[in-house]
Amino acid sequence: MATDKELSDFLENVERRAFKQAVYAVRKDEAALDIVQDAMIKLAEKYGDKPADELPMLFQRILQNTIHDFFRREKVRNTWVSLFSSFGHGGEEGQDDFDVLESLESAQGTEAAESSADKVERQQTLMQIDAEIQKLPTRQREAFLMRYWQDMDVAETAAAMGCSEGSVKTHCSRATHALAQALRAKGITL
Amino acid sequence: MTTKELQFAYKVKLALDANLDNLSEDTLQHLSAARRVAMARKKKAVVVRVQQPVLAGALGGTMSSESPSWLSRLGVAVPLLAGMILFAGLYQHETAKRVTDLAEIDAAVLSDELPLSAYLDHGFNAFLAEKGE
Repeated sequence: MATDKELSDFLENVERRAFKQAVYAVRKDEAALDIVQDAMIKLAEKYGDKPADELPMLFQRILQNTIHDFFRREKVRNTWVSLFSSFGHGGEEGQDDFDVLESLESAQGTEAAESSADKVERQQTLMQIDAEIQKLPTRQREAFLMRYWQDMDVAETAAAMGCSEGSVKTHCSRATHALAQALRAKGITL
Repeated sequence: MTTKELQFAYKVKLALDANLDNLSEDTLQHLSAARRVAMARKKKAVVVRVQQPVLAGALGGTMSSESPSWLSRLGVAVPLLAGMILFAGLYQHETAKRVTDLAEIDAAVLSDELPLSAYLDHGFNAFLAEKGE
């Protein structure tokens, strides 16, 4: 059974990555924060007595389910909204046309703008990678992030995603190729 | 997955980790607060109490904690069996007694010279009463 310290350390270790995962999925910081908080509370309330080594898989499963719940609620809400208005969706489409220059302009006056050219270029690359990760298909992104960012093995990832290990491998491979191709197209080589 | 792909994935992982440092202070505070809320609502460990049967405790009290399973069952089974045997014996005894009583009544009636219908005759009852006086 995980002690209070083990659980606290685990949550502290995963909270920022979980937040980014949620942001990649829902693209709204506030909603992502709510999702991560819900996932943390669910883990602590329902699985706080589980062994520490089971926590990563359980947390990822809860996080993915919470993200899916968010989309279900959004779908219902959008259905009602669309009954009254068919306008106002321009903002979401704009995110697909991600422009590095715009991002840099928005960062004027911040730490990045004041630093050296190398740091600016590095920040630019990180943002490009971030954007391309966000553009990946949902299942590919989930598999890729769990497998390589969260350091979960294939079996754990499959359990968290509720699919076969073969599917995880396929998703990961496709995600890697899509990501490499997208970054290469933008002149980024890792 | 090829080595090249793994290397690429590893470099993406490093980039994503590096990008975590760009989270705003406000976001970090929210995450920290969320963690504290979650910890406050952590599921407590359930203390499991093993209750032993009373009879097993009486019979197997001095045994080690690993062996009393069959003894405790025996402790329940033996009194139950004894009760059943006692009940069967009582039933058998009562049945035999009832049969004997009925046989004695039958013998008395059969050995009597008067027919049974005589006792139902009011005149004969009056005769017996007079004779008794």
